[in-house]
Amino acid sequence: MTGIIRGVAAAPGVAVGPVFIVEMEKASEEGHEPAGSPSEEGDRLYAALEKAAEQLDELARQVETKIGPEESGIFLAQAAFASDPTLIQRAEEAIAGGLSAETGVTQAFQTFRQQLEASSSERLAARVTDLDDVRDRVIGILTGRPIGATGPNVPSVVVAAELTPSETAGLPARMVLAIATERGTETSHAAILARGLGVPSVVGAEGLLTAARTAAEMAVDGTHGEVFVDPDPETRRRLEEAAVDREKRRRELAGLRWVPGATRDGRHVELAANIGSLSELESASQAGAEGCGLVRTEFLFQDRTDRPSVDEQVVVYRQILSAFPDHRVVFRTLDIGADKPLPFIPRPLEANPALGVRGIRLGLHQPDLLNDQLRAITRACRESPGRGAVMFPMVTRTAEIDESLAMLVAVAEEEGFDMQRLEVGAMVETPVAALIAGRLAWRLDFVSVGTNDLLQYLFAADRLQTELADLPDLFEPAVLRLLSEMVTDAHAAKAWVGVCGEAAGTITGAAALVGLGCDELSMAPSAIPEVKDALRQVTAPDLEEAVDRAMRAEGPAEARQIMDAALPERSAVPRKQ
Amino acid sequence: MAERTVVLRNPTGLHARPAERFAREAARFEADITVSKQQQDSSVNAKSVLSVLTLDCRQGDEIMIRAEGEDAVQAVAYLSGLVEEGLGEDVIR
Repeated sequence: MTGIIRGVAAAPGVAVGPVFIVEMEKASEEGHEPAGSPSEEGDRLYAALEKAAEQLDELARQVETKIGPEESGIFLAQAAFASDPTLIQRAEEAIAGGLSAETGVTQAFQTFRQQLEASSSERLAARVTDLDDVRDRVIGILTGRPIGATGPNVPSVVVAAELTPSETAGLPARMVLAIATERGTETSHAAILARGLGVPSVVGAEGLLTAARTAAEMAVDGTHGEVFVDPDPETRRRLEEAAVDREKRRRELAGLRWVPGATRDGRHVELAANIGSLSELESASQAGAEGCGLVRTEFLFQDRTDRPSVDEQVVVYRQILSAFPDHRVVFRTLDIGADKPLPFIPRPLEANPALGVRGIRLGLHQPDLLNDQLRAITRACRESPGRGAVMFPMVTRTAEIDESLAMLVAVAEEEGFDMQRLEVGAMVETPVAALIAGRLAWRLDFVSVGTNDLLQYLFAADRLQTELADLPDLFEPAVLRLLSEMVTDAHAAKAWVGVCGEAAGTITGAAALVGLGCDELSMAPSAIPEVKDALRQVTAPDLEEAVDRAMRAEGPAEARQIMDAALPERSAVPRKQ
Repeated sequence: MAERTVVLRNPTGLHARPAERFAREAARFEADITVSKQQQDSSVNAKSVLSVLTLDCRQGDEIMIRAEGEDAVQAVAYLSGLVEEGLGEDVIR
């Protein structure tokens, strides 16, 4: 079957390749009659457990090189589960009693599961998920339907309903040609990962999974948000030409790597990278990033059962700082809430995680966690040449800044660290933070706008809701006016203003933000060269004048048009539309 | 047969990586090795990380390591030494 599935363009570029479906569908042992004698079933059991352990060991190795030795621990633990002698013994007993390998091993897992679950210890209860994962993997192997994010062995188009962080951990970067998901928006995890890896991506493509099951190949056009199922020769040729053009363009832009971000008339605009893993450091510096405007420190905390120690954090933070010895690196403190629960931060379920105890709220609620992180950041900065900065997420009141600053100052004193060497800032991602940016900024060195969350809250539209993807719009003239006022207030308080949301990485968005007076734009590494090139062709006064008109436009469409018109022909190489 | 009682000194107790390390090292011996938590009757196979985890032993808990077989004495000496050294974690003495 050939056909086109439309979705949201989440990361630019084109790629064609075989389909690999990442599926965390729950395995079921039900309805499995023993296929052979108990001894044959036993052999199937041993083979499946051995294979599962091998896969997990391999995953651990991949994660170790991709992310780090600490992160790979979880997979090593899972490998140990798969070769646990008592587990095997219990499964053997069940199989000897006439059960299939599937049912026998599930029962064996179940006995441990119940023991872990019944425990009063949070630590043990948290391991249930790890155990279930291993069980599903073993059942998947037994039933011939591999389950779990094992990752493709050949370069492939990765297709999923939606990618979770733990699923992406299993994806070998070199084997990912493109990422397409059925759900999600351009700010969902899959999209952010794709931009980090520099591969094309389409998200929110309805009907994708059904089509993928019967497709041999898929083409992903992440520039236009289209997925082609088993593309015909004509489509392939067109897409491949576009890919060649893109490669040509990429080489042209490579020349800008060492050039600082600035407008034609010489107003410096720092173009920095958002990163969420150590593997993105390389693409960030290749893209010519002037430091990191947002380090999503969550990656250190996710997919593990115990919290990272201060020393462990120091190692990672130092690595990031030393990748940018001449630039600033902004560490955002842990932004975690009920939507991304961590086993070592037990939290009650919340009906509205986006509006709940997350970001700095959690940090002040569980000060030991924030304290550890601030200690690690100051220690890393003390021992590194670069310029470190701390940024607090989800701020809504000046008191939160006062409390966090007091904590930071106390830690710095204990560590013998000179606070003059560290810049401190706040994320502007709640509407009220934008409104009180002036008062926040008096206490700080900078504020940085998280446009994704700010727009989500301004438009009351869930970022993960595909149907609402078009609703939040930076170009709503009233939003532009809000930002304009915010920049003025922050500048009056002698603070610089950055933007670290996705809007900073689009050419029109970046142009508007520079016109509004923003001093720094931080974006996915892959977006930096195009934005840099576009800004170098316009003057700051022209952008200011255009954004001034956009603020008074009739609506978002007109405002966007006004900004677009202020931008020149974007590149020497015509880009196909 | 050999046995010894030791106190868990490392912060994580017999959980996470320390538990994995303990079971892995136990598996290197021929002897049948069990571990039990003091004041509890149930002892489990020390080579089974899942069983060790279910004991839920924490820092400060006393555990009894017992082995039967040819290298039982060595096993108990080695494993209790490992526990006293903190199973790869820093120990505050």
